[in-house]
Amino acid sequence: MIEEFLVLGLIQGFIYALLAMGFSLVYGVGGVLNLSHGGFYLLTAYVFFWNYTSLGVVNTIIISLIMITIIGGLAYLFLIKPLEHTPIGVVIGTFALAFFIEQFVQFAGDAKIHSDIPPLIEGSIEFLGFEIDAHLLLIIIVSLTVIVSLTIFINKSKLGKSIRAVSQDREAATLMGINADRILLYTVMISAFLAGIAAILYIPKDIVAPHKGWSILINSFAVVVLGGMGSLLGSVAGSFIIAFVGSYCNFYIDPSVSYLVPIIIIVVMLIFRPQGLFGKKELL
Amino acid sequence: MFKEVRKKVESFPGYLKSWVGTFKGGLTIFCLIILLIIPLLTQNAYYLGEFFTLAMIYAIFAASWDLLAGIAGQVSFGHAIFFAISGYISSAFIVYFGFHWIIALFIGSIIAVVFGLLIAVPCLRLKGPYLALGTMSFGLILFLLFTMGGLSEILGGSGGISKVPPISLNPVIEYIITLFIMVIVFIIIIAIAKSNFGTILKSIRDDERGSDASGINTTKYKIFAFMISGFFAGIAGALFAMHYRGVNPAFFQPLYSFYAIVIAALGGIATIRGSALGAFFFVIVTRIFENIEFFADVEPLFFFSIILIFTIRFAERGIITPAIEQLKDLWDLVLGK
Amino acid sequence: MGIILEVKNLTKKFGGLTAVNDFSFELKRGEFVGLIGPNGAGKTTVFNLISGFEKLNTGLIKFDGKDITGLKPYKIVNLGIARTFQLVRSFKYLNLLDNVTVSCLSSRGREVSKETGTDEYASSILASVGLVDKARLPPIILPHGDLRKLQIAKAIGTNPELLLLDEPFSGLTYEEQLGITDLIKKLHDDGVTIFITGHVLRELMTLVPRVIAMHQGKFIIDGSPLEVAKNKIVREAYLGKGEEFA
Repeated sequence: MIEEFLVLGLIQGFIYALLAMGFSLVYGVGGVLNLSHGGFYLLTAYVFFWNYTSLGVVNTIIISLIMITIIGGLAYLFLIKPLEHTPIGVVIGTFALAFFIEQFVQFAGDAKIHSDIPPLIEGSIEFLGFEIDAHLLLIIIVSLTVIVSLTIFINKSKLGKSIRAVSQDREAATLMGINADRILLYTVMISAFLAGIAAILYIPKDIVAPHKGWSILINSFAVVVLGGMGSLLGSVAGSFIIAFVGSYCNFYIDPSVSYLVPIIIIVVMLIFRPQGLFGKKELL
Repeated sequence: MFKEVRKKVESFPGYLKSWVGTFKGGLTIFCLIILLIIPLLTQNAYYLGEFFTLAMIYAIFAASWDLLAGIAGQVSFGHAIFFAISGYISSAFIVYFGFHWIIALFIGSIIAVVFGLLIAVPCLRLKGPYLALGTMSFGLILFLLFTMGGLSEILGGSGGISKVPPISLNPVIEYIITLFIMVIVFIIIIAIAKSNFGTILKSIRDDERGSDASGINTTKYKIFAFMISGFFAGIAGALFAMHYRGVNPAFFQPLYSFYAIVIAALGGIATIRGSALGAFFFVIVTRIFENIEFFADVEPLFFFSIILIFTIRFAERGIITPAIEQLKDLWDLVLGK
Repeated sequence: MGIILEVKNLTKKFGGLTAVNDFSFELKRGEFVGLIGPNGAGKTTVFNLISGFEKLNTGLIKFDGKDITGLKPYKIVNLGIARTFQLVRSFKYLNLLDNVTVSCLSSRGREVSKETGTDEYASSILASVGLVDKARLPPIILPHGDLRKLQIAKAIGTNPELLLLDEPFSGLTYEEQLGITDLIKKLHDDGVTIFITGHVLRELMTLVPRVIAMHQGKFIIDGSPLEVAKNKIVREAYLGKGEEFA
């Protein structure tokens, strides 16, 4: 039992971290809470699901990731940026996109729940005397690599520094010659890319279903509310906290309760500590 | 205050006459007349009920959301909560306690408001997308609570409450009464939007901090907005339960919250009237999709989601309001103005 | 006549930065006082603290003898303090009349507007700032000078005893500044206590009989414009930043 508990917690922790980091970045940089974030995940999941048998796993991964990154960029250019100045517009606009993606995948595919996606890597690997499922190892390695790379990128690279500048003070950054719109565009594309990776890694362990978009969105929101908006460290910490609490509920209490965990966290945090554990930006 | 009200009441007949003369007023009267004629054209339960009565129920629901989101700027993604709570309470009062449906409808809506307060108060300090996700989360909690274990057993289980009698077994009477309720609700909501109270709500929507700086207790007014909106959403929910002869946990699903948003957005956010047009458009197009071979495979929601994206991107005021204004221009042209 | 505003040991920190540092002063009823300091001196923060938009760390604020520390902004407005903002803001989907009507619908504003009716009262306020012919238009079409007038009109709607004007001249042409100056003078003549910040100093120094200067959150000097202009620390603070100082 404890093994399964740890494994699920680990998997979900990493997956949520990838999702939350992107979500939090877009908020931190642009002040936009992208309600279609779950939609990016969903679309990648379905595109991968539809094509991996005919095109091969590796090819499909590459194509899906490129696709979702481009779509992220288009979403910014055609929906988020033009509606920037109407707060209601951005909320409903990103919602509309999420709604559209949910309808689209049912239109192009079906409304069923699919749980039969095979792991990206079959079999298990011996590690320190334990038999570790190969796909789990893949999740850990890829996620760690992405998380570390992203953190280094944000802190050391030129683009990363621009991103940090815009997230701290958009006006000041613009005065320094940074094109804030372009930075936000890249940030949205990065967040879409991260969501895509999360989808590809997670769906063999999870399901592909139209309503997943909303639960991914709620999960991402729960993580950043817990960890603090705009804080990458908070996103990672929050992800694992929520993942392990959820996993605990799943194995030791009741699986259906684990659905409530992120939602209860959102409600409790918003009431008592809206800025989160490590929160920087004011959200009120 | 009474002087102002009396002035308004006394000037009403003249106001009404001049309003009918305007394009919008005339068009509204024209639509109402058409709605009154419809039961003369068909008494079929399916056509009356599933095309028009349902549209009117959704119109009330969407208008209540528009008041909260479009006028007061509080974009709620959990409006199904009011809808469903009222559905449950009013059904319970009719089926288990034998109350008359009008009283049950009021009780259900009032309880929905109380519930809405419990949710609104913590959500009040949230802005924009936070409010959206916060209300969505509350909606989801209730949905999950009602569909799984515990609570759902107390409140009728996953089967909900069934055998709820409709307003009338005669679809024409049900239609007329629903029409009557819809007209009253719309008159009230529009009056609220146009009043000083509505102006204050709009100030909160446009610049909450500025509204504070103008001496407005924004928290108090936001609570009022939630309460009033919740009440009317509750009316819609009770009507919906009676129309479909029962209530079940599905009333809480996020999809119904989305319906309110989609319909109001299609009709034009903050127009209130647009919700009625949006609702008829939504329901009638959905029925057409269901009944025409060619569209049998296509989910109407897919179609609406595409329209919604373009609407919100290019037509802030919905697709219907500008269409009506084009009509008005045409009309003026024809009249040679 | 009496002390209308008493500010004692006001301190406000933002993380590691102390924006306002042990700042104290008093305003008498009916006075016309300026608050100067280079950009970043903390002037707007002082205004935000007095009007309740920021919470102070330590200190005390008394209005007309009543402790208003920590009160919510709308309550402070309804006690009689109104303010304008440095960055002009308006209710962008409401016309000018409705913009002013909102203030007239505050509890304090209602006490006055209920006599004549809110619409008439708001119209008269718009007339007094010279915007009544644009009453049905939205703020978006207004030139900057008119937007500043609108802000003042909105403040008037709450029937204030003390008016905090945050950089009301910034971004205005010379003519527009004159218009605002006349408006402010008229309000002062009507008995409103005016506390005004600015760093277009030439205009401000000729307008007010008393100036309080601050720099880096700290109080420097409180006196006549001439005394303040001669003060060494004040001159350094401004010249050091390369700002205009006459």
